Amino acid sequence: MNRLDDRLNHLKAENSKGLVAYLVAGDPSIQTTLELMHGFVQSGVDIIELGIPFSDPIAEGITIQNAHDRALKNGTTFSLAFKLLQDFRKDDNQTPIILMGYSNTFMANRKFLEGKNAKIIDGLIIVDLPGEISHKNLGINNDSLHSITLIAPTTNNKRKRAICKNASGFIYYVNFRGVTGSSSLDFEEITRNIIELKSTSNLPIFSGFGIKTKEDALLAAASADGVVIGSYLVNLIHQCSPKKNYKKIYNYLNSVAKAIK
Amino acid sequence: MSKIELPNKDGFFGNYGGKFVPETLMKALTELESEYNKLKTSTAFQKQIDKDYAEFVGRPSPLYFAERLTKKYKGPKIWLKREDLNHTGAHKINNTIGQIILAKKMGKKRIIAETGAGQHGVATATVAARLGLECHIYMGAEDVDRQSLNVYRIKLLGASVHPVHSGTATLKDALNEAIRDWVTNVEDTYYIIGSVTGPHPYPMIVRDFNSIVGRELKIQAKHHFGKLPNAIIACVGGGSNAMGIFYPFIQNKQVNLYGIEADGRKLEKNKHSATLTKGSPGILHGALSYLIQDKKGQVLPTHSISAGLDYPGVGPEHSYLKDIGRVNYFPVNDEAVLKAFHEVSELEGIIPALETAHAFAALEKISKSYSVKDNIVVNVSGRGDKDISTVAKLEGISLE
Repeated sequence: MNRLDDRLNHLKAENSKGLVAYLVAGDPSIQTTLELMHGFVQSGVDIIELGIPFSDPIAEGITIQNAHDRALKNGTTFSLAFKLLQDFRKDDNQTPIILMGYSNTFMANRKFLEGKNAKIIDGLIIVDLPGEISHKNLGINNDSLHSITLIAPTTNNKRKRAICKNASGFIYYVNFRGVTGSSSLDFEEITRNIIELKSTSNLPIFSGFGIKTKEDALLAAASADGVVIGSYLVNLIHQCSPKKNYKKIYNYLNSVAKAIK
Repeated sequence: MSKIELPNKDGFFGNYGGKFVPETLMKALTELESEYNKLKTSTAFQKQIDKDYAEFVGRPSPLYFAERLTKKYKGPKIWLKREDLNHTGAHKINNTIGQIILAKKMGKKRIIAETGAGQHGVATATVAARLGLECHIYMGAEDVDRQSLNVYRIKLLGASVHPVHSGTATLKDALNEAIRDWVTNVEDTYYIIGSVTGPHPYPMIVRDFNSIVGRELKIQAKHHFGKLPNAIIACVGGGSNAMGIFYPFIQNKQVNLYGIEADGRKLEKNKHSATLTKGSPGILHGALSYLIQDKKGQVLPTHSISAGLDYPGVGPEHSYLKDIGRVNYFPVNDEAVLKAFHEVSELEGIIPALETAHAFAALEKISKSYSVKDNIVVNVSGRGDKDISTVAKLEGISLE
């Protein structure tokens, strides 16, 4: 049991939908990421998904690619992101944190993800790790970290069963065939697939990729147990960064949180 | 070494390989694998591919005795496997001929591919044109500039070229962009990967199609000198021409195999593409394999005089062959490559691709270990027409 279990149990007990917000560690700077994370929580975000920048993020559209580039150019490393999380935990030991990134960076930095220090993190989403295997296959020995797995519209039933068997925490349903941030959403297909998925797994199902407006979130949350907002938020952060008018972001998150709760 | 069929069912060659891709693509990979396994054993498919190799590609490619090169090195007899004589000018067509049949069988309407030197782009555009399929080629913006001849060839063949500006604007970034296209258009699109890289089953499929080179060599060697060669030399970027010529000889342990990597600039330590010699295991573009990366797991920029070798990864089977010691991999630098480029042109009347010139540049070192009774084979993976402007520019010659 970690913070993610607590939060998911709480949401279930309250019969409330979850809001997951994504941002890239170090975009525009480590210090700002820390500030934004606290701001997210105050705006009603339930779970923070922190992107670990990688040189070759193949599942990302241009918005998140650019954010990864900016973070790497700032000198963001896994160890700096880890330090950022330690700072965050000084003031907030409740909000679950999930790291999202690519196999190669997790494998190279596995020492951060093991042992007592890793307790500041609650789960991992490894975009290019097949859902039926876990982070242990990358040499990360930590049973208390949730393996959040993704299921796509193209995932067949046999794979769905194998992935659900290995999943923990929640299941991340990928809303469309495409990279992050692209495409318009087909809510009929999303709803159909999420409802079907619920017959395969008892875990909460969160819907992500392509959710932009409050209305998108509301439509996705009609069938899903929560929504993930990524590219749209990363773009907002980028727009608001020169003047640091992050209030705009917090107001947006607040309105989404209120709408889906 | 016992004869175990590799890769295993999960796509691993020893510790290397696998399918490290976003979930959206997993279905496409499974379908590709099952379609390929069906086709592989079909005699109709074999017949079709043999016919295409003979009548469209111009196979078998000759095994040619390089008399003046042999004289120069005063050692073993040097033979050239002439993949440069294939239609489109390189070994790349061996693979695209096969994969386009798979694409057609799977009912895909749209073909995508990445290219570095442009040879795989040309070979893909060629087979797509022949079957009337829509074709999109991703190419790093830097490679678009240094391989302008091939860019124009691809366009003449009716395909679109998409320059990729992200990252280092070379082959690695072209692969990233092609994968992103595939994730988006997976239902109607077939991705023809051009090397023995990428997620399973690609390293196996590309190896199998390119193995025609090694299979022909076995027969030709018997014919020309009555036994197997003592050594085979091939350049390695992603490693498809090397895998193709090595694979049928893996069990023939008396045949020494040499894979030559790009050491890049002689005086700048970090300007190279020698993945197997200087890299460490990591995951890029769907496979676990040797990778040029920093300690923090970020992929590093590479350099090679040849666009086709300018890549931080390498096929997983090569990583396996390195670890078990079956193939001897070592790098040669740009300077030695340019020297070999001229030498082969002047001594043999063959202008090799800059990629291929890496294999020739290793002759000086390798030939010392062999006697006049021995036979060594260089895989001439491609012809050098595409590189003429690059070489001229480096040597300060204006072609305007």
